[in-house]
Amino acid sequence: MSLSTELVKILNAVEIKAVEADYKKQGYHVEVLLNKDQVRDFSKIMLEKEFYLDFVTAVHIESGFQAVYQFGHFEESCHVNAKAVTKDGTIHTICDIFHGANWHERETHDFYGLKFTDHPDLRVLILDEEDADLNPLLKKENKLKSLEKITRSEESQDKPAKSVKNKAAAKIREKKAKPEVKSEDKQDDKPAESS
Amino acid sequence: MDFIVDIIAKYSLVRILISFSLLIAIIMLNAIVMGYLERKICARIQRRWGPMEVGVQGWMQMFLDGVKLLAKQLIVPREANPFLFRMAPLLCFTPVAMAFAVIPFSESFYAMDLNIGLIYLLAMGSLNVFAILIAGWSSNNKYSLFGALRSVAQNVAYEIPILLSLLAVVLVTTSFNFKEIVAYQSGLLSFWMCQPVAFIIFLVAGCAETNRVPFDLPEAESELTAGYFTEYGGFSFGLFAIAEYGNLFIMSSVATTVFLGGWNGPFGLDFYSGPILGVFWFLLKVFILMLIMIWVRWTYPRVRFDQLMNLSWKYLIPFSLVNLLITAFIVKII
Amino acid sequence: MGTLTTRFSTIQDPDEKHKFLLNMGPQHPCTHGVLRIVLEMDGEYAMGIDPILGYGHRMHEKMAECRQWSGFYPNTGRIDYGGAIPYNHGYCALIERMAGIEVPERAEYIRVITVELNRIASHFLGVGAYVIDLGAFTPILYMFDDREDILDALEDITGSRLTYCHHRVGGVSKDIDDLFIKRTRAIIKNIRSRFDMYDRLVTGNIIFQKRTKDVGIIPVEMARRYGATGPVLRGSGLGFDIRKNEPYSVYPEFDFDIPTGENGDAFDRYMVRMLELEQSLRIIEQALDKLPDGPVMAKVKRVKLQPGDCSFSVEAARGMLTYYLVGDGSNVPYKLKIRVPSYSNLSLLEELCKGSLIADLVSAMGSLDLIIPEIDR
Repeated sequence: MSLSTELVKILNAVEIKAVEADYKKQGYHVEVLLNKDQVRDFSKIMLEKEFYLDFVTAVHIESGFQAVYQFGHFEESCHVNAKAVTKDGTIHTICDIFHGANWHERETHDFYGLKFTDHPDLRVLILDEEDADLNPLLKKENKLKSLEKITRSEESQDKPAKSVKNKAAAKIREKKAKPEVKSEDKQDDKPAESS
Repeated sequence: MDFIVDIIAKYSLVRILISFSLLIAIIMLNAIVMGYLERKICARIQRRWGPMEVGVQGWMQMFLDGVKLLAKQLIVPREANPFLFRMAPLLCFTPVAMAFAVIPFSESFYAMDLNIGLIYLLAMGSLNVFAILIAGWSSNNKYSLFGALRSVAQNVAYEIPILLSLLAVVLVTTSFNFKEIVAYQSGLLSFWMCQPVAFIIFLVAGCAETNRVPFDLPEAESELTAGYFTEYGGFSFGLFAIAEYGNLFIMSSVATTVFLGGWNGPFGLDFYSGPILGVFWFLLKVFILMLIMIWVRWTYPRVRFDQLMNLSWKYLIPFSLVNLLITAFIVKII
Repeated sequence: MGTLTTRFSTIQDPDEKHKFLLNMGPQHPCTHGVLRIVLEMDGEYAMGIDPILGYGHRMHEKMAECRQWSGFYPNTGRIDYGGAIPYNHGYCALIERMAGIEVPERAEYIRVITVELNRIASHFLGVGAYVIDLGAFTPILYMFDDREDILDALEDITGSRLTYCHHRVGGVSKDIDDLFIKRTRAIIKNIRSRFDMYDRLVTGNIIFQKRTKDVGIIPVEMARRYGATGPVLRGSGLGFDIRKNEPYSVYPEFDFDIPTGENGDAFDRYMVRMLELEQSLRIIEQALDKLPDGPVMAKVKRVKLQPGDCSFSVEAARGMLTYYLVGDGSNVPYKLKIRVPSYSNLSLLEELCKGSLIADLVSAMGSLDLIIPEIDR
């Protein structure tokens, strides 16, 4: 049993949503969807399984933030990507478990204003102190997207939003395109050319 | 000619003036020549050309650098002690000039013939550390202070092996006078052959005393930016540089006089025929020693401070003490 | 810039009155680039270390969100000026993975050749700068001599010497010619002949060994907690290399080893870099031998980034580089995260050097081979 299957079993056993991902397309082996309060338990399991922390970052979405944690393994080929949605802009720190998370969390705090509770030292890291509230990676209202729009789903995968001029047209197309399975498979094979 | 010699002999003030201006000229010239040689040789060691733009092979580069340094403003940091800050380069330069007074370039070419020449010269050489301490302290910069503190510890530690290794020679010659020490080595014998341990210890300790790589901790660039002269610019920086080359010259000339037979021709070949050739031999030996120091400087990394101290207290001092004891024993028997 | 508060902005405990703060950088010779470290010193010992970043911050990630993905090509070459081509490669491979583009085999080989040449150049820069930190100025000029040849060769096919922009989604922008192959073979021969000299000049030097052995020891467990990668990790004895562990491009077709250290000290990290030079040379040689014919660019029409995320890791000169992209269906990335190797390598400095001499701090920090603009991004 490979490490990724084992990990999915372990995580599912403690009620953490984890699925094996398509490495060729996504670049990681296991995708984990966390609740906001599962972050610490999850990272403790990762430390036990001798994973290292790749990075911590966040994505700004309509309903708040999506914190992204990526882990890797030194001996085996296994990348784990974990996502946790937080609506109030706070999430618990993991920097006492993975010390490397300290700077990643500080950086995320700089760029997004995402608060990591119980972080020992949440000063600005990369920005100037005067710009501490700038949070440059926050998106403007009109550019914000909902979580569904940036999540890989069967639908969106089959439908690389190609040559769509406006949203209304896109919606109509989506509705129309749903039943046609065969033609979509073709598009899936060569999405680059189809656009 | 006799008339001039008479005046010089009669009026000591004239003699002092002439010799002092000559000495300053020699120190400046030495700094320029050594600066040029160092840049050229290190460039060659590093597969570069070195200065090439001004004059043939860039020989005028150092003169122009001197002019550039002279033209620059001396900036005194706001928090510094202005009096001591300005004094320090002079304090660094003066002992060097005074030490040059007793260096015997040849049998008759020297400013002053002291019967305690060796002691006087070493005393002047160690005054240098005061200037560095004052420079480091008065700049009110932590890096400068670090450099100054390191320099004091280093100079205190390395003064001892220098004295002990020279003492071994003095036990044989029973004189501190340079002339007599050189006269002792007039034949085939010179002291680097019968005191090899003392010679090597002197060279290593001398390298440390003049703050050269691998012992350049007071100015360790990658750790302390520039050490004690971090805050200095313009000609006060130039004075430090000149004093550094002056110290290098002094150390090399002590080694030449005490261990390599001074102005005598090498291997007992007595080409001696007047002051000119003596000066030639003397300078030849001094410059060979200085070139070796340049060679070492551009080859080795820097030691760490505790390693530097260990080298002195654990190796150089015990070895020089043993060497001194053995020498004393042999002298007693003979 | 405003005054930045540090963790030890004032020392108030009367027992610690003898301690003082030392501000190292942003313009300090040993912090290559613009890193500022505030040290709490007790004599010559650094008792507290607080690195302050951001002096070279350019917000590349925001730039990526503000333009089409193809407009970000030149930025990738400017994140790490020491070894820029792996950054090109990682970004292009990421987009290719997202869009499912197949790259012609010849292009993959050319990518590997340029990446490995760049890795050698970068290691020469890193090792040379490290030896300067230890006070020896000469070795870097010999290393730059070799590096110069590589840059000349790369200049011919990429058009630039430092901030490359050669790889494209679907291939590379310019094919290599016979002259380049001939030149590269000469470079390989020349560098091989120099190894002996480097051994005598640097590795075998007793002062160098005394300054680096048992300095800045990183145990594997500590490297894992901080996520250290690259030569820093391999120096600790773990042979982790993305090129072997998660093979990408055409790396599986080459025969090469992953050198590792034993003690995890500064000397081992230095040795890993020196040994990696030889491995990179081997890869380049094999790639030149096997180089297939064919096009160097696939037919790529306009690519839209599908909704969903994707990550791609490559082995850059300083360790694992990960690009993480979130697409939203347009051709502008919704989010691009660049995980740079030096970032985590620097973050362990505090634990690594606590209570060490300032000279050891310089030595340990130099052995991490940091490129500060890469950390600041």
